[in-house]
Amino acid sequence: MRGESAVRRFAVAATALAAAAAALVGLAILAGASPLEALRALAEGAAGSTAALGETLTRATALVLTGVGASLAFRAGVLNIGLEGQFLAGAVAAAAVGPLLAGSALGARVAILAAAAFAGALWVAPAAYLEARRGVPEVLSTILLNLVAAAAVSGLVRGALQDPEGDYPQSRALSDAVRLAPLASGSRITAAVLIALALALLVTLLLQWTPFGLKLRATGLAPAAARAIGLPRARLRLLAFASSGALAGLAGGLEVMAVTGRLYDPFAAGAGYTGIAAALLGGSHPLAATASAVLFAALGAGSSAMQRDTGVPGALATIVPGVLVLAVLAARARLARKTT
Amino acid sequence: MSGFLEVALLLAAPLLLAAAGELLLERAGSIQIGLEGTMLIGAFTAFAAARSGAGPHAALLAAAAAGLLAGAAFAAFAVAGRADPILVGTAWNLVAVGGTAFCYRLLAGVTGSVLEVRTLPALAFGLPAAALAVFVVPFVLEVFLARTRPGLALVAAGENPLALAATGGSVVAVRTAASVAAGALGALGGALLVLTVSPTFVEGVTAGRGFLALALVVFARWKPLRLVPGALLVAGATALQYRLQAGGSHIPYAVFLALPSLLALFALAFARGRGGAPKALGTPAP
Repeated sequence: MRGESAVRRFAVAATALAAAAAALVGLAILAGASPLEALRALAEGAAGSTAALGETLTRATALVLTGVGASLAFRAGVLNIGLEGQFLAGAVAAAAVGPLLAGSALGARVAILAAAAFAGALWVAPAAYLEARRGVPEVLSTILLNLVAAAAVSGLVRGALQDPEGDYPQSRALSDAVRLAPLASGSRITAAVLIALALALLVTLLLQWTPFGLKLRATGLAPAAARAIGLPRARLRLLAFASSGALAGLAGGLEVMAVTGRLYDPFAAGAGYTGIAAALLGGSHPLAATASAVLFAALGAGSSAMQRDTGVPGALATIVPGVLVLAVLAARARLARKTT
Repeated sequence: MSGFLEVALLLAAPLLLAAAGELLLERAGSIQIGLEGTMLIGAFTAFAAARSGAGPHAALLAAAAAGLLAGAAFAAFAVAGRADPILVGTAWNLVAVGGTAFCYRLLAGVTGSVLEVRTLPALAFGLPAAALAVFVVPFVLEVFLARTRPGLALVAAGENPLALAATGGSVVAVRTAASVAAGALGALGGALLVLTVSPTFVEGVTAGRGFLALALVVFARWKPLRLVPGALLVAGATALQYRLQAGGSHIPYAVFLALPSLLALFALAFARGRGGAPKALGTPAP
């Protein structure tokens, strides 16, 4: 992934773009719309105005954080497929802690985000424990924890966290003082996206430029060699589990604090799974994953507009990331076989 | 209590069928964590076929055909193409979740009205023949893997692919065949949901059952017969949930929603991890 030559990267990117374009055009035709008009509606909905751009960046916040979290885990050889559940855990923590806090808005915000990150890390802990002590593949345990988290959200918004002033299955709203205000009028964009981008940079620096990052990558790339030179595999893996969980939890907390203001059911619209796709498209490089996440967010924002204007179902925004990742995986595997 | 047993068996059948297919694929050395997506493809195909006038049995066949294709497509990427099956499976789920939702919208319109289909007629114990037949599958699989020549080749592909290749067998061919079979069984599992439990399609109708089926395979330690108690346990918990909910129980509803996943998690914790896992599980074919 890091060692890819420029030619190979170009070949992979070209394959992926061709597959994505074919999927976009094919699906538009299938829905009986003119592909050109569908694409125009998509582009305008994603970046055609300040509001559209704001929508894209608002959607990007969660995807960047889960994408970077997934990259961090994958580079350390930890297959954390449970970012969806960790995202939900963070959202629950934010919704539980948020309405209780009094005092300064800044203090409350920091407390909410800390609680969300902690909850995300905590939610991945059983998977880390089961993998280290019982040899349970984390792929399976993290997926199951996703289902448990979804069930917990469903119960909490009808029970302990339900807003006492309404009959809806939703939690109490965060006060306006605590919620992040839009950066520009007429747009949903808040400072949350800046937090996500700053963390993406921080993780990139940590992973690519520090001795700790090198150790983390070494455990993922060559576990046997890493063990032979005395790297603490168990501790490094635990750190990768916890930090990817914390990033996903933070994404959930920011979603509540900046976008929804409260928790309801069902809450996550696949932010965890799409984040994984962003990591895979970006070769588990945090910066490339960030770019992929913004691309997927633009697809999401654009496809809503496209559904409204041309009648092409918005589910296209879920299909295209999947097709892109499949194309990249196939192209990489093919090139790897050619050269070895 | 007869109602409870009937519901439990009806819920166990799709799970058991999908898990049996996954077990076959994993014993051959590959793994499809996008089983949820395959089940969705089966559920949607059965729904679409039934809506366009096919009887419930023809709808079942249509789903099986879609599953065969899905299994072949997965194998093209993860077996013949040698891409990491876990990563292919993750992307597979996105394509299937989005793809079935997309096609459903085209069929039902963007407003989304509930479209019902005819369910399979009951044969005995309130269960249709297809659901009853599911409970025979683990026994057939057990005999197939232990006693037949293709079954032994399949096990070899999962335990020692180099040895299979050295004796002139094709690991790619064996795993592709297993993937095709697993695709058909997974899709049939999804179709059974629509044709028995809930006679309509909604987005995400499988509600995590594909993921539970994956856990069941580990719970059964890759032994076909052990799938039966696992599936009955999980389905029993779900049936209990329905029953208590209908009875106005004060136990929070979410406890029952989470119960199957929690049971599977505990089962994983006490199954001593990879004990019994095929030695070459998830590795590329030589």
